Amino acid sequence: MKFSYSWLNEFLKKDLPNPKKLSDLITKHVLEVEEIEKIEGDYILDIDVLPNRASDCLSHIGLARECSVLLEDKLNLPEIKLKEIKEETKDLIEVEIKKKEDCRRYTTRVVKDVEVGESPKWVKKKLEKCGVQPINNIVDATNLVMLEMGQPLHAFDLEKVKGNKIKVRKAKANEKVTTLDGENFELNNKSVVISDKEGILAIAGIKGGKKAEITNKTKNIVLESANFDPVSVRKTSQAINLRTEASTRFENKIDPNLTGKAVDRAAYLIQKVSNGKVTKGRVDNYEEKRKPKKIILKAQSIRDLLGIEIENKEIKKIFLKFGFKIEEKENKFEIEIPTYRLDLSIPQDLIEEVGRIYGYENIEPKLPEVCLIPPERNINFFWETQIRKILKNAQLSEVYTPSFVDKKDLALFNYKEKEVIEVSNPISKENTHLRPSLIPNLLKTAGENQKNFNTIKLFELGKIFLTPDKEKEMLTGIIYNSKKDDSFYTGKGTIDFLFEKLGITDIWYDEFKPTSEDNKDNIWHLHRSAEIKVKDGKELGFLGEISTNISEKYGIKERIVCFNLNFEKLKKFIIEEKEYRPLSKYPSAVRDLAILVPKRAKVEEVLNTINSIKGDLIRDVDLFDIYQGDELPNQKKNLAFHIIYQSPNKTLTSKEVEGLHNKIIEALENKPNWEVRKF
Amino acid sequence: MDLNSLKKKAQKEIENAKDLKQLDEAYKKYLGKKGELNKILKTLKDLPIEERKRIGKEANKIKKELKERIKETKKTKKEKFQKEREEKEWIDISAPGKIPATKGHIHPITQIGNKAEEVFRGLGFSLIQGPEMEDEWHNFDALNIPKNHPARDMWDTFYLENGKLLRTHTSPVQIRYMESNNPPLRIIVPGRVFRYEATDASHEFNFYQLEGLMVDKKVTAANFRAIIEEFLDSFFEKDTKIRLRPSYFPFTEPSFEVDMRCINCGGKGCSVCSQTGWLELMGAGMVHPEVLKSVGYKPDKWQGFAFGIGLDRLAMLKYNINDIRLFYSSDLRFLSQF
Repeated sequence: MKFSYSWLNEFLKKDLPNPKKLSDLITKHVLEVEEIEKIEGDYILDIDVLPNRASDCLSHIGLARECSVLLEDKLNLPEIKLKEIKEETKDLIEVEIKKKEDCRRYTTRVVKDVEVGESPKWVKKKLEKCGVQPINNIVDATNLVMLEMGQPLHAFDLEKVKGNKIKVRKAKANEKVTTLDGENFELNNKSVVISDKEGILAIAGIKGGKKAEITNKTKNIVLESANFDPVSVRKTSQAINLRTEASTRFENKIDPNLTGKAVDRAAYLIQKVSNGKVTKGRVDNYEEKRKPKKIILKAQSIRDLLGIEIENKEIKKIFLKFGFKIEEKENKFEIEIPTYRLDLSIPQDLIEEVGRIYGYENIEPKLPEVCLIPPERNINFFWETQIRKILKNAQLSEVYTPSFVDKKDLALFNYKEKEVIEVSNPISKENTHLRPSLIPNLLKTAGENQKNFNTIKLFELGKIFLTPDKEKEMLTGIIYNSKKDDSFYTGKGTIDFLFEKLGITDIWYDEFKPTSEDNKDNIWHLHRSAEIKVKDGKELGFLGEISTNISEKYGIKERIVCFNLNFEKLKKFIIEEKEYRPLSKYPSAVRDLAILVPKRAKVEEVLNTINSIKGDLIRDVDLFDIYQGDELPNQKKNLAFHIIYQSPNKTLTSKEVEGLHNKIIEALENKPNWEVRKF
Repeated sequence: MDLNSLKKKAQKEIENAKDLKQLDEAYKKYLGKKGELNKILKTLKDLPIEERKRIGKEANKIKKELKERIKETKKTKKEKFQKEREEKEWIDISAPGKIPATKGHIHPITQIGNKAEEVFRGLGFSLIQGPEMEDEWHNFDALNIPKNHPARDMWDTFYLENGKLLRTHTSPVQIRYMESNNPPLRIIVPGRVFRYEATDASHEFNFYQLEGLMVDKKVTAANFRAIIEEFLDSFFEKDTKIRLRPSYFPFTEPSFEVDMRCINCGGKGCSVCSQTGWLELMGAGMVHPEVLKSVGYKPDKWQGFAFGIGLDRLAMLKYNINDIRLFYSSDLRFLSQF
């Protein structure tokens, strides 16, 4: 809310310190002053009034009261000098509250023979400084009192209130109302309205209606100063999507004891600025009176919660500054809370009052005196961290993509509405659903990055969401190289490296077998994709090229490979301990072997054949070249291996090595169409 | 050729040798199997015995001398030769270095989170994680944020068609942890949170928060202040200064806003701190008794503090980044700087 510095000053006996100094004090002890604006002859303090202090501090007097505590000054309350005429208010207007939960108090006054016109300059200026548009001297007076005291008021044209009776009632379903600014609203049967015998005069606590509007012809007015139910005002305001200065204040609760003083102050101002005649007495419907509350506060609990050394007499002094009645007995205080402090209801609330006046900056830091229990290790977080490090070493970069996707993504990936979780209030049409996969947003990032890079290797470790309320952590990555068609193998190497570092040894890549029932499979290239499996065939995820039908939709120019792993499944197979294999003391012998096989023969088959000879003397078989070229016979490819022979127990003789090597060659040549090339 | 002129010629060559290779060549040329000296010695067989003896003796003497000379020269000139060689091998060290074609990077927010975790681990805080999709109870009600209360407006929320919502803060994990663990406790909770907010340089609809909670029999605001100062000093690796000022959160009472003296200008006022000298860093407070009650703790026995800090904000301050959207841009030109 915008506060006028000079207006605040009116409510204090002594002069306020300069605006900068005052703002610092307010920020340190009450609420944050977000901005100080200098305007002609005054300063405007823009203060963020948080919900707990909205009940009293959305008003100049409320804030002035805080200043009086900080500056140890007295409040100077505004003048109310009513000259009531003989005619009684109760003879002019009657009020009926249908359900007292909807309206705790309804207070009215009547002012007769008003001269409606422009407000005097001093009124208009005050309103404008605080961002309120002046309208006429009647409406302006009610708004001025709201900014002064925090009580929203409304003025009706008495002649237009038919039957001289105001009813506070629930609206009928679909009942229509036109507000002062000419907007039409249709209400539901939970909204509370003010009406006469004909229809709605105002939406209670939110906005006045056109029906009983003050115009230049208005002679007699009735002023409403009420206390409406906060929840009901909030619900109606949300339902019709209309927030006003009044609704904000009612939603946050206001002291019901305020209505009387506020209506008197407004009547006094109107008497002053429009020559109106105030009738005798108020019509006041106030059954359940709010009384001051008493809170018992242990002195020690203040010291124990704030961690400060503060003496009882100092505590007492702070409460006296607030003007609270306080009694001290046996290290306990009994404190009477004035009704305008709706935010104070439990001892901790009062500890906060002591703390902020004492000054939080005066709390000396002190490390806890409890014994230090070593923190528990979070194994999930530990592996997340490890995986990130491993993938970084494999030259991948981590990205954070949004948790949302749109309908286009879902259609491309063949997700049905019933599988994905829809956002009820999406921020934009690009973010309508929770992501059921990390792949779409990763493809988007690849599309963006290819403008600047030929090689893109990215991964994300993040949550995906599926109906009804599943949340899964996935590890997904993309590999893109516009210059070289080997991304699948880079991806496979990355996965191998990751699994090796995580101690998962028994993984294998299974042929991709798309199932007809799962049409999500069609994002993968049919012949360049593999299922990643572990142990006895448990699927951990997928590695493959994204079908160009999909990738081109994301503007990706060349082939792109993606791996998609279920982190929660993967986690179960991670083995932290590494098994150490002793280094052999004896030299190894390396023999090369080249074999010509049909183009679609698999490296895995060749390796299996070599390993079938095994014995523990073949330490390693390393494929170092795959070649398909014009010099080779049609439909053939050449595979070249280093085979490393080594014994843990002795130096192998060349005869032994030759023997083993020949056995391997023999086994390989037993296969039809396989031909070992001699060097 | 007579021996003397041969000797002179050899000596000259040894003298003029530019490197070890030339010395070795000289050795081979004069003293090798097929060297000059041997050639002369081979011709001796046609000479009279006296002559043979004399020349042979002299040749051997020269051989020995030359050997010594070469050995000596090798020894004395080794360093010189090395220097001369290295001089020729000059490279331009100002030319750009070669790096692997691609390098990997860990996201700056992850790095910030890890660093924060490390510091808090040292202070005895365990790291806890929780779901991003939440129910109203954990995200609001249990945190003393009642339905239909204006305080709910402090969190612009994404609601989901399955009746759940996206957590607006990491605080629901506090509740989940306390529901299944007994005090005393010290935890931190990093994670992704969501706000229904238009994006701009300082707002994102998904971002990262780090929540902290300590509950014990005698935990005070003074303890909170000490813990946070320890954290900030270690995190920013400098002496930081903070101030607490009043704030409001439904789940803490009293509540604080924690400001840090601007690390850019030291408090004089600059564009980073909008001329105030202070940077808003986190919300915090002493756990509200209603929150303790909602998880079944006795508020007259236990008390504690809680705080929530924006990891994006920390990262922006640490790396001097002025646009939060960069973290979620996935732009490698940005990410590769970390």
